[in-house]
Order: sequence, then structure tokens, then C-alpha cells
Amino acid sequence: MKLLTQIFRYQLLASLVVLLLGTGLFYISVRYLMDQEVNRELASSQVKVSWQLRNIERLPVYILQLGDSLQLDPVVFPGRALLREKSMFSYAENAVQPYRQLIFYERVEDQWYRVTISKLLLQRQQLRDAVVMTITFIVALLLISLLILNGWLSERIWRPFYRTLGSLDRYRLEQRPVLEFEDEKTLEFNQLNLSVKQLTERVAATYKNLKEFTGNAAHEIQTPLAVIISKIEELFQDETLTESQLVALSEISEAANRLSRLNQALLLLTKIENRQFPPGSEFVNFLPIVNRKLKDLEDLIDQIQLRITSRMEPAGPMIHPGLAEILVNNLLTNAIRHNIENGEISVLLQAGKLQVSNTGRPVNGNPELLFERFRKESTQSASLGLGLALAKTICDVNGISLTYEVENNRHNLTMTW
Amino acid sequence: MHIFEKTTCPVNPVAVLIKPMKLLLIEDERSLADSIQNYFQRENFICEWADDYESALEKINLYRYDCVLVDIMLPDGDGLDAIRELKKRSPETGIIIISAKNSLDDRITGLNLGSDDYLTKPFHLSELNARVQAVIRRRNFQGNQRIVFGKINIEPQEHTVLANEQEVVLTRKEYDLLIYLIANKNRVLTKESIAEHLWGDDADMMDNFDFIYTHIKNLRKKLLEKGAPDYLKSIYGVGYKFSEQ
Repeated sequence: MKLLTQIFRYQLLASLVVLLLGTGLFYISVRYLMDQEVNRELASSQVKVSWQLRNIERLPVYILQLGDSLQLDPVVFPGRALLREKSMFSYAENAVQPYRQLIFYERVEDQWYRVTISKLLLQRQQLRDAVVMTITFIVALLLISLLILNGWLSERIWRPFYRTLGSLDRYRLEQRPVLEFEDEKTLEFNQLNLSVKQLTERVAATYKNLKEFTGNAAHEIQTPLAVIISKIEELFQDETLTESQLVALSEISEAANRLSRLNQALLLLTKIENRQFPPGSEFVNFLPIVNRKLKDLEDLIDQIQLRITSRMEPAGPMIHPGLAEILVNNLLTNAIRHNIENGEISVLLQAGKLQVSNTGRPVNGNPELLFERFRKESTQSASLGLGLALAKTICDVNGISLTYEVENNRHNLTMTW
Repeated sequence: MHIFEKTTCPVNPVAVLIKPMKLLLIEDERSLADSIQNYFQRENFICEWADDYESALEKINLYRYDCVLVDIMLPDGDGLDAIRELKKRSPETGIIIISAKNSLDDRITGLNLGSDDYLTKPFHLSELNARVQAVIRRRNFQGNQRIVFGKINIEPQEHTVLANEQEVVLTRKEYDLLIYLIANKNRVLTKESIAEHLWGDDADMMDNFDFIYTHIKNLRKKLLEKGAPDYLKSIYGVGYKFSEQ
């Protein structure tokens, strides 16, 4: 959720709570005040009526307030005084209307009367509702305008933050290693920008060091490896060696060769990541590359008797020709290496797409994990575990998408550009 | 003189007729240089060594070589400059660059300067040997380019192989394999070096070396069919050896 939306949400929630609570409290207090008023009036009417009944035989016509009504009913025994609310039919209005009644008992000349004073509440209730509504409306208006103002202000104030976020989002270590920002009015954002700048500076320095180190290390390793391999070869020529010594030597040789290949693959990977192979200005046609590679790999294909089907038309992305070779090679060798005997490989090349799909064993987990370096499905193979990592890196730096999916034991590697 | 030598040395008549090849190795890593020198001395090559740019220039200016092996990363100068100098002095000399840098740019620059081959460190000495021999053969336009080993005769330009005077039809890989075996005759060759020679970078793909075995088996069968002796010995756990003994 967006920061501003979140702030807005909380503000809205708080406003609603304030509005509801405020309205409720206001309503209750207004009602309480009005009730008190009505009760007071009823009480004063009671005093007046009692006094009149006791001292004057007849009641004057206008003893009560306008709209109130008085009812005298003779009763045998007095009851308790009672204050109640009651809806009654008013002939004047021809509708049922709310009244508050005060019922009490008075004795006049040995006869008990039940006196009922009814007071129409309608106007008061209407007034009360009108007051509450008006106040609520004003408060709601106030809150809404506050919310809008807040939203607008937040957006203005947070703008530098979004600028920083945007440049972090577009941040590419290889292209523009250090981020620079303009001065902001807000202290905190200036601090943030400064921190980000320092962070990118450190990252850039580390990256540069690492790059140099990897390059140098790989180069420096090549020469000692050359010495090791050449010395092993010299030793092989020694005819006094026993068979077990020869076997041990052979294993050393194998390990040294593997190390050398590993080193070269890592070196290549580093170079590709450092973008030392810029794409040319022309599209590379994959068709002849695929055909040539299939011919080169004939031995391996024949050995496990794979059937190759291909549907190809000239197509290819803009890419360094050397990388195109490596890419095609890695995809095809991967399809051969992880195939099964009497399996199948199909190659589909069309505008914007190259798909190599092969039969194979099922993969545990997400097949895209095989793009990680040194990720291997089986441990017994001589594979370095770098082939697909290389292919992925090449695709990434050239803006090509490479996906790996497995369905029904068919592995599909698809490049789209 | 020739007749005398031929009778006393029936093993390899051609080798006797050819004067020893002269190589110059420009390489700053001493122990690697030692190995390379030893290897070529056993091939009856004269292999001189220069360990820096200065002494390399001195040797280039003083002597003529059949082939020069240059490490282009020298402590006191660029090996590419040495190649330029060499091309001025003696354009007929073969040049092989050996470099720890597997850089496409260097490779192209080197080949454009007129070097014949580019080999990335680390390499198999047998591979270096095969390449040196190929360069010398290619440069030796006037002379005899034929490769002779026992009863096998190869005309590299026509890609024809005769065993016991009869033509043997070989596939491309079998032919390459035979040339490689003869170039490194009397030596133990590891399976990896053969695989790398035949398949290059694709050798990474090999989970086992059955492929080599298939080609070796076919080559041996074809040669035996034409009546050539069995020159190929397999060395348990290591690889193969091609020799007349």
C-alpha cells in the first residue's frame, strides 16, 4: 500500500471515529438538556394544577402551556406519580405524535382524581435533530477539508522522497555507480539523500574492487595452473612410474583441468556481467549458429541416440556474436547433457523467440533455480554447474528473457527478445 | 652420409633428413618455461628461452627461429610489441601467442599482427606441440609437408592418409586424432588433452571419455585393416600412447 494511502486511511479512520463519537455525545447531551427542560415544565405545570385544584374549584382554561393537554379522571384510590413517554393520536395533526405525560393523583373534596398532563414533544425533537444534524454536517465538512488538505500537503512534502525512491529504483551499478541528489528543503530528506549517496559510493567502491580482484585472481590463477598441468604432463612421460602412481597422477590432472575450466567459466561470467561484450548494431542470425553447433555436438547426440527435430527460420536478437555462440552452445549442450537415452530435442526458432526443449528427468522444485551458479540436479555429472548461469547472465545483460519450465518431463528453455 | 644414417636408423627416416627446428620461448614464468623447454628438447627441437621483453628482442635480432612462442603479458613490455618487431625482422617465422588472458580483443589483435595461433593458459604441452608442428608445417611451403610415421603417410594439404601404401578413409575427427597422435608420438597422452584437442570447449560437456574411445577404436580398426602395425597403446587409467615400439 502506498505511504500516502496509508496515512490517508488512518486519518479517515480517526475522523470517522471522532465524527461518530462526537455526534453521539452531542446527541445524548442535547437530548438530556431537552429532557430536563420538559421535565421542569411538567413539574411546574403539576404545581400549578395541584394548587388550582386545591384552592379553586374550577381550572382556568389557559393554565397550561400551548399544545399541552390536561385530563382529569376520577379514581377510587390514588396511585404513584408517573412520568412516561407515549405516542398518541392527535386529531389536530391527524397523526400519531410523541408526548410526554406526567400522571399524578390529587384529592378534591374527598374524591381522588388522576391528573394526566401530556406535553407534545414533536417540535423539540425536530429542533434537536436539526441541531445535531447541522453540527454533524459542519464537523464532517471540517474533517473532509482537513483530509484533503493533509493529502495534498503530504504529497507535496513527500515528493523528494518519491524522487529518491525513483532514482534508487532505476539504480544500475554498472552504468551510473554513484547517485547524486539536489538539495531539498526538508532536513530529513537531505539526510536520506546523503545516506543513499554515501551508500552507493561504498557499493561502487566495493564493486570495483571485487571486479578487479576477480579479474586479477582469475588471471593470476591461470599461470600456476599452466605450471601444474605442464608438470603433470612431464611426469606422465616418466616410464618408471607404477600403475597406481599413474592413476593418482591422472586424477590430479583431471582435477587441475576441471579447476582450469571452472576458472575460465567464472572469468567469462565476470566479463559478461561487467558488460565487456557490448551488443553490435546488427541482429545476429541464430539459424547458422544452431546448425553448426548441432553438427559440432553430433558425437554426443549420437552417443545417447537423440532425435533432433527443428523448425527454424532466420531470426535473432541484437547481441555480441561471441555471446550468441556461447548462448546457443550452452542451451544445446544443456539439452543433451540432461537428456535421456533415445530422447528428443526440439529446436524452435522464429522471430523474437528461440526455444530448446528436451526430454529429461523430472526436476525437484522450481526449475528456474537451475539458473543459479553451481546449482546441479545430479552430483555425479562432470558439469561445472555454470552453463545455465552463463546463459541467464548473457540474456539478462542483453535484455532477453530466458525462462525454464518443465511439463510432463519435457524441459523447455525459452528465450524471447 | 644419408645412406649410412638411414641404415642405422630405420625408425624415422624423415626426422633424420630434417635439420632440428629452432624455437624461441618468450615467457616470464620460469617453471612453465622449463617444462616447455624439456618437452621440445625431447622432440629434438632447439628451444631457447627469453624471460623478458629486452632479452627477447635481443634474441629476435640476433637469430632466426622457425617458430616463436610469445607470452603477451611480460613484466617489462607488451608481447604484442615483440611480435611487431619479429614480423619486421623475419616475416617467415611462425608465431604462437600463449596468454593467460582469454580475451577476444587480444586474440584478434594478435592474429591481425600476423601470429599463427593463440593458445590460452593453461594448456596441455601436447596441444602446444601439435600446434607448433602445424604452424611449422604450414610455413614450410617449399619443403616437404608430408607427415610420415612408420607405415603411415599423410598429405596434410590433401587430407589423404596412406597406411601400408593403401588409402585409409577417415572421418574428420579420426583424421584430427591421428595427426595429434603422431605429433605427440612416443608420449603418454591423457584423455582430457585428446578430448580438448578434438572438441575444444565442448570437452567440458564430457561426463566420461567414451567418445574418445569410440574414435580411437575406429581409427585403430581402420589402420589395422590396411595392414599397418598396431601403434596405439592404451595406458591404464591415463590415456594412450602412439609409438612404434
